[in-house]
This record gives sequence, C-alpha cells and structure tokens, in this order.
Amino acid sequence: MAEITPWQGGFLANFSPRVQEKLLSVAETFQYKAGIDVFHEGDPSLYLYIVKSGHVAVEVHIPSKGRRTILTASPGDVFGWSALVEPRIETASARAVEEAEVLGIKGGALMDLCREDSALGFEVYRALAEVIMARLIATRLQLLDVFAVG
Amino acid sequence: MSVAISPADVRMMRDPMLPNPAVIRAIKPEANGISTFSMEFVDADEAAAYRFQPGQFNMLYLPGFGEVAISLSSSPVEPRVMGHTVRVAGSVTRAISRLKVGDLVGVRGPYGSSWPLEKATDKSLVIVAGGIGLAPLRPVVLSILHQRDAFGRVVLLYGARTPGDLLYTGEFDQWQKGEIEVHVTVDLGDEHWRGDVGVVPQLFYRIRVDHRQTLVLTCGPEIMMRFVIYEALARRIPKDAIVLSMERNMKCAVGFCGHCQFGPTFICKQGPVLSFAAIEPFFGKEDF
Amino acid sequence: MPSLPRVAGTVVISKLALQRVFHNLRDAGFSLVGPTVQDGAVVLEEIARIEELPLGWTDEQEPGRYRLKSSGEPEYFGYGVGPQSWKKFLLPPRLGLYSAVKENGNWLFQPPQNSAPHYAFIGVRSCELHAISIQDRVLLSGEFRDPHYARRRERIFVLAVNCGKANSTCFCTSMKTGPRVTGGFDLALTELPQVFVIEIGSEVGSEMLRDTPWEPASAFNLSRAAQVSERAEREVERRLRTDDLPKSLYDNLEHPRWDEVATRCLSCANCTQVCPTCFCVTVEDTCNLKATAAERTRVWDSCFVLDFSHVFGGNIRPSIRSRYRQWLTHKLASWIDQFGTSGCVGCGRCITWCPVGIDLTEEVNALREKAVR
Repeated sequence: MAEITPWQGGFLANFSPRVQEKLLSVAETFQYKAGIDVFHEGDPSLYLYIVKSGHVAVEVHIPSKGRRTILTASPGDVFGWSALVEPRIETASARAVEEAEVLGIKGGALMDLCREDSALGFEVYRALAEVIMARLIATRLQLLDVFAVG
Repeated sequence: MSVAISPADVRMMRDPMLPNPAVIRAIKPEANGISTFSMEFVDADEAAAYRFQPGQFNMLYLPGFGEVAISLSSSPVEPRVMGHTVRVAGSVTRAISRLKVGDLVGVRGPYGSSWPLEKATDKSLVIVAGGIGLAPLRPVVLSILHQRDAFGRVVLLYGARTPGDLLYTGEFDQWQKGEIEVHVTVDLGDEHWRGDVGVVPQLFYRIRVDHRQTLVLTCGPEIMMRFVIYEALARRIPKDAIVLSMERNMKCAVGFCGHCQFGPTFICKQGPVLSFAAIEPFFGKEDF
Repeated sequence: MPSLPRVAGTVVISKLALQRVFHNLRDAGFSLVGPTVQDGAVVLEEIARIEELPLGWTDEQEPGRYRLKSSGEPEYFGYGVGPQSWKKFLLPPRLGLYSAVKENGNWLFQPPQNSAPHYAFIGVRSCELHAISIQDRVLLSGEFRDPHYARRRERIFVLAVNCGKANSTCFCTSMKTGPRVTGGFDLALTELPQVFVIEIGSEVGSEMLRDTPWEPASAFNLSRAAQVSERAEREVERRLRTDDLPKSLYDNLEHPRWDEVATRCLSCANCTQVCPTCFCVTVEDTCNLKATAAERTRVWDSCFVLDFSHVFGGNIRPSIRSRYRQWLTHKLASWIDQFGTSGCVGCGRCITWCPVGIDLTEEVNALREKAVR
C-alpha cells in the first residue's frame, strides 16, 4: 500500500477507502502562491478544502484594523466547511501563508452524494462535527483569555 | 452661466454649516465611559420647531475642539430635548464628556436617513444591537412603545462586551412591560452576571422568525453587523428586509466634504440607515 | 453699425484690442484672474494687462513631466492647462466658515467676513467649463447648497478660449468636454495669427466690447476659427473608453492591478490638488488661549491623506492600494451614480503632475483586462 502522506493522514483518514474514493471523484486540486487568497469572506462557498501542502490562514477582516488570523490550517486540516452548511457563504477569508496546494471537494456534488448515499453522508457529517467541536473547544479557551493578568 | 442661481437666491441661502447654540439640560451616565447628554436649543423658536426621525443624527460643535456626528437616542415624540448618548472616542467626544449641565454646545441637524418604521407595521420586527449601537435604535423602541397597537411582534437582541458596557439596562423592564421581547448577552461575563454569555448574532438562536414577514434593524460594530446579516440570510430573510446603520468619518453632514463616502453612497445623505440590498456589492469589501 | 455686438453673434477684434475688454471688465468691478507665467508654469493669478498673459509661450506635457518653452509665435493662449484650475477661486483652499465668540456665558456663532470678489475668469478652456459645471452639481444641486460657492459662482464673468492645440496628456474628446467651447460663457475667443474671433455668449459679454473696435466675423475668419478647433481635436492622442463605466470598475474591486499601481503611487495627493473637479474638504478648528473665541476654517483635503477615512480605532483605508482605488473608482465610477456625469473632464492634469507619471487611462484599461493570478 502506498505510504500515507501527511495530508491523507488528516481529515481523509476518517473515512473508509470506498468513501475516500467517492470524495476524491468530486474533487480538484488547486495551487496558490504565497499571499494569494483561496477565498474571500462573503463569496459563495463552493468547496470544502483540505490542505495538501503548505499552510493556509483563515482570517477575518475588521474595518480599520485589517485582517486577523483566527486559525492556521496545516496539511491534512479541513477548512471552508461553509460549503456544507446553509446559506453556503464564506464567513471568513482564507489565504495561502506560503506556497500551498489544496484539495477542493465540490460542495454541491458532495451534498448530492450525502443525500444519495446515507452511509457516506453519516460518515462525512460525523467527521465534520468532530472537527468543528474541536475547533469550538479551542475557541472557547481563546475566549476565556486564560493568559490575561488580573 | 450653466447653473441658474439668481443674486436673490444667493442672498437667501443659509449656510448649512452654521450651528445654533443649545444648552445641556441633563447628563445621565449609562455605562463605562458613556453618558447621555440631553440638550435644548437656546432659541425658543428653534427648540419648539425641532423634529427628528429615529436613526437620524445631529452635528455637535464644541468651539475650539471641532464637530462630531452623534445619533439621537431620545424619543422622537418629545423632540424638544435632544438626547445624545456619547462614548469617548476622540478629542471632541472627550470635550463633550467634560461638559456640565448649563454648558453650551453648537447643534445643527437632524441629518441622514431613518429606520423604516412604516415597513414594520405588518411584520415582526427584530432589532439587533451591539454596544453603543443601541443608541440610534432606542428612538425606534420609544416610538413603538408610544404607539404599541400599530406594531406587531417586536424583539430586541442586544449585547455588549461586558455587563458594564450595556446601555439603558434600567429601562429593559419597562420595555418588556410594553410587550417587547428583550434578550441580552455579553461577550465576557463577570462574577455577578447571570445572563447569557455569547456574541450578539448567537441570540438569533433564541427566537423563531417567519422569514416572509420579518424586518431586521441592526446597528453595532461593522463586523458584528456582517455576522447578523449572515444569520438573517441563513434564516432566508430577504436582503431588502435587513436594514443597518453605517458609520464613516464625517466633516460636514451635508454632502460637501466627501469624507463619508462608501462607494457611491454618502453616509450623511443616503445613510446612515441603509438597506442591505442597496449596499450589498460593497458591504464587506476590505478597506473600501 | 450698432456700438455693441448682438448676443450669439461672432466678431473679430485685433489682439491688442483685448486690452480694452480687460479695461471694461475692470471698470465694471470685476477682478480679472487669468493665466500668467510664474516659477516655470502657467498659473492663474490676478492680471490687469494683456502683456501679463503667457505671450509666446507653449507647454510640453507628458506623464510626470511639464515644461514651458518659447513657441516662437505671437500667441497669447498657445499652451494647455497648468497645474491650477478655477476651483482655486470658486472653492478657495482656505475659507473661514464662522467664528464662535463667548459673550455673557453664551456662545454666538458669527458668519465670516469673507469678501467674495466678482471674478472675471480669463482664458477658460472647454474642459474647465465642464469641470465648473460638475462642481455646480456637487455643491448647488442637492438638498443642501454651499452659499460660499454660490456667491463666488453667481458673479463670475467667463472669457473662454478655444484650444489651438492638444497636449499629449489631454483626452477631452473621450469625455465629450472639448476641445471647442459650446456654452456657459460670456465671451469665447479663438486665437488666429492676427486677430481674435469672439463669440458673444451673453449681454454682459457684449457690454464688455464697448468702445472696442470690432467687426462682424467674415466667413473666412469663421472658417479659420473652426479649423483651429479641428486641429486641436486631431491632436488629441490619449483615449479613455467610457461606455462600460461604472460597471467595469465596480466589478473589478479586487483586481490585481490595484496592487500593481500601489507599488508606484506615493499617495502624495498631487492629482487631487490639480484636478478641477475634486471637491473634498475638511474643517480645522482653532481657539484662543482663554477659550472664549474659536474659529472654523474649511481647507482642501484629499482622499489620499491617511486620516481622511479615520474612524474610532483606525482608518478604513490604511493602504495606498485602498486609497488609490477609492480615488479612481470615485472619479470614474461612483461619481456617475452620485451626480449623473463622470467626475473626469479629460484635462490630463493628474497624468502630467503625478510625480511617477501614473496615467488613469492606462490604469482603467488594465483593470478591464481579465485578471490573471
């Protein structure tokens, strides 16, 4: 069996080979030079992304303060899950911090797959729920500002 | 010449930049570093003639310091005494914060567009405010309370950074008695806070809305309004039923100085109250 | 022959007779302002005699370059527009708005003692007339009107001049603002080798030819005057396509070209100062040490100044990229939605006076190209 690259050991490792193959069948690979946006806040959310190589910063723009990074995605990490949640609009921007290659799974096609194949649908949304919960716990910790003095 | 102005026309033209003196009648602390300054024109005729619509603002002039645009936060039904809830943000607002009852300021106004209350009479109204953003929406609440039968369901979703930053908390009981559903949250609680903790857009999860007849009015930090709009769109509320109040640098309030432009919109003329549908192509564009 | 020409007629006078027109204007109480050479440029200042006009001068203008040189021709108006425009007089760079005086505990707000002279603008080009008309829309046609602008505007006498040549930076033909003057003037001159051919635009214009030896213009002179304008029109090289504005700029707010121009733009604000339609102003406040008297002064501002977009917590447009984008999209796109016309009259000043020679016609064309990332 081929050696599992770091990125395949991430989000995709949650799935059986059958499901992985189906996901890849509705996916494309994109390349971004350093500093280029993968998507912009407010854009229609078309793809669920997995980082193959490089790093992608997920950022929110605050008027008069500029962009703030709220998360950095590494090989194997998933971002852009708005593609699977109505109203399917990006709630943040994503930018390649260094040269990056990402796998984009078409959101519309993936949702169709989930509807047709409920076993696949269950696996996908369960894996997504786990990722989102982990992020939420991390965000709560950030919010509690545990390093604050006084 | 290409424009027809007669000498008589010119002689009659009043300078829209000239303020009138107004005297501070009362100062009420509302929250951390925020107070409401109530004032009345010195000239009895000016005081009697003043009217405004919810959402509009006055330009307040502190001689030697400058002018600042501040929304009216008092009742449009009692317009004689003009209330302005002011947060210290720069040299002019700092000078305002040092005023005493009996002091004089220069006032001109009202300017700008207003909340479309006439569209709310056959809909559910969801008012979403963050921090000092509740100030330009308070006149909406007071107008509704004054004429409660003319409106249907009214919900207020309000939040601030900490409990000490919440405005008008002493009035919430009265508002609830006037059949306004009030939901309050803070980003960071303290040891006494027993209310909700979470960001303002999350309050949408506490209510159910019928997207076909809901009007959303929102005011707060621009980034909060972006996420409020997101939650409203997620509930299929039409873009023209989402109304926000925007803020930009203002030097004249009458469309001459160019500072308040947001794309083709002059915030002082077509705004500050704008429907999301009207500004969607530009809203959220970075550094625009 | 009647002593004054009729309105809408065209007459011919000798060039020296223009001095008589100046004289009549002075007698009628007008302050003459017009082109004169100073510090290597044609600027607009108070003038009294035709000798103060740039007789025998011409100019070379290119992106980032302006030079005067001797033309070798006895022409009073043989050059294009200089760095200044008539907004210098109609929308003065500094203007007292009002003062506040504390008396018996009361603040009194007093209008200023500004005098508004009766200006006679000498040598107004067609593009500049359109620019004045554009500023009229901004400052006089809305719900609020600027009385300071109105007072100066209402009183002006316009002695327009039809351009005899085009500079390389001119593009009035694309903006439909020239080269020939079509209206809005009291007198309009076309300079021929020996004479001025003058169109009478108003009663007041006709009045200013009192005691001036004039003759009705012959068919020959009318034809030569028309040729002057045709030659100027042929010389216009620069073009700006406008049929897809404002949409093509609104649709390209994230185009990579903005990043590219931002590497060149210095945010120096020259373009906004020389532009005849830019109207942005700010207000400065001063007061005496006892805080019993304060003044407000209106001064020119520019969207290139960092603080222009200052709000609580920072600036909405902190980068040169965002500020250049604001200027260009306002001038060529949003202005159309706001006021019904483009904000640009094709005078080319911004191209000439940009220290790094940024050419907005080139930028707009680049922004139309499909973005390649």
